[in-house]
Amino acid sequence: MARRPFLVAALLAALLSCACEPKRQQPGAAVIEGEWIYDNNCAECHENPQPDLHKQPPNLHGLFLRKSLPSGALATDSQVRMTIIQGKGTMPAFDQRLREEDLKNLLAYLRTLR
Amino acid sequence: MRKCATAFTTESPAAEGQENEDKVMKPRFLLPLVLLLLSLFVACNRTKRYPLQGEVVAKSPAAGEITVNHGDIPGFMAAMAMPYRVKDPAVIQQVQPGDRIAAEVVVGSDPSNYWLENVRITDQSGRGQSRMPTGSQMLAPGARVPDITLTNQDGRKIRLSDFAGKAVLVTFIYTRCPMPNFCPRLSSQFARIHNELKKNPADYDKTQLLTISFDPKYDTPAVLRKYGLAYLDGDESGFSHWDFASSDPADLHRLAQAFGLEYEEQDNQISHTMSIVLIAPNGTVARYWSTEWTWNELLASLEQSAHGSSQAGGE
Repeated sequence: MARRPFLVAALLAALLSCACEPKRQQPGAAVIEGEWIYDNNCAECHENPQPDLHKQPPNLHGLFLRKSLPSGALATDSQVRMTIIQGKGTMPAFDQRLREEDLKNLLAYLRTLR
Repeated sequence: MRKCATAFTTESPAAEGQENEDKVMKPRFLLPLVLLLLSLFVACNRTKRYPLQGEVVAKSPAAGEITVNHGDIPGFMAAMAMPYRVKDPAVIQQVQPGDRIAAEVVVGSDPSNYWLENVRITDQSGRGQSRMPTGSQMLAPGARVPDITLTNQDGRKIRLSDFAGKAVLVTFIYTRCPMPNFCPRLSSQFARIHNELKKNPADYDKTQLLTISFDPKYDTPAVLRKYGLAYLDGDESGFSHWDFASSDPADLHRLAQAFGLEYEEQDNQISHTMSIVLIAPNGTVARYWSTEWTWNELLASLEQSAHGSSQAGGE
């Protein structure tokens, strides 16, 4: 009986441990890398309103959940990659500025945006 | 973290109706509980911070990194030059190779995941290898602008003297600029000015807009044409009033010096200042702006200059 509170505390702690470390899968290295690329190259325009810009950059959350991109093109990796490299409308081209690996990681991250 | 915080509020395991026993058990119960929760709290906040001092030797805006040559960071890293990530793009824009900085290295639960925070430039005197022009060569208001030859979006040669008799608003961009407050803002606000001028033929005929790229290697006439059309909403006739042009690097450098523009290419991205120049119909500098301006202020000055009542001055 004297041991009960200690056991309760230990059980509670074990439960809290589960709360701190969610069961869901940790994002992979590509997604973590992609988030950095996104934060440093995309987020400023695509996450914040830009009243001074000619056209408002679209929000990219759920980009791959829809059939088509904001431009109307099919929501595929190759189409998004082409948009990033070549730019689209007033969106600047990222040609020669992102490495192939950066692009792959960025696409992996964009796919996680909900 | 939110889950950890919530967890701390869920402590009520003592059995009801056993007050006496609880009083006896409380210290023995609390100690392991507090220790366990503390260890969990620490486990949930496993980032570590280390002070760093060093010199920026390179930067890579696309990767969000700066390379710092630093001394020993006890507990983390021996003295060496290595790249560090910086989350805030403004910091990467601000620091230049040669700057001495102080910062904090933040190391996440995964030791391979580390980055810099609280970056401060402590000494800029070593900033070097820059081909940025000195302000002393900047033309004073009233001075005649150099008659530089440019190539526009149609591949046609144009000279600044071609616009004699018109008030010309000139600015500098590069089409791949990803900073919304720099080139995209300049072109967007020039588009607004263009649209306003179109409403009044008397103003339209006496004014001209000129956007000059300082990235001639990438910004070919075809690239400039595509860029310009995006801001002209696809209306090609707009090019008669708004040229998008570039020049050879030597002439661009000369023009940059004349108009107080600073730019430096690194890692396929160009660090640059903003410069907007109003050229009066007589071919002299009427006024400059850098960062503090609004589209309607530019429009008003352009219209005044076109109709012969420009105000000389500048920022």
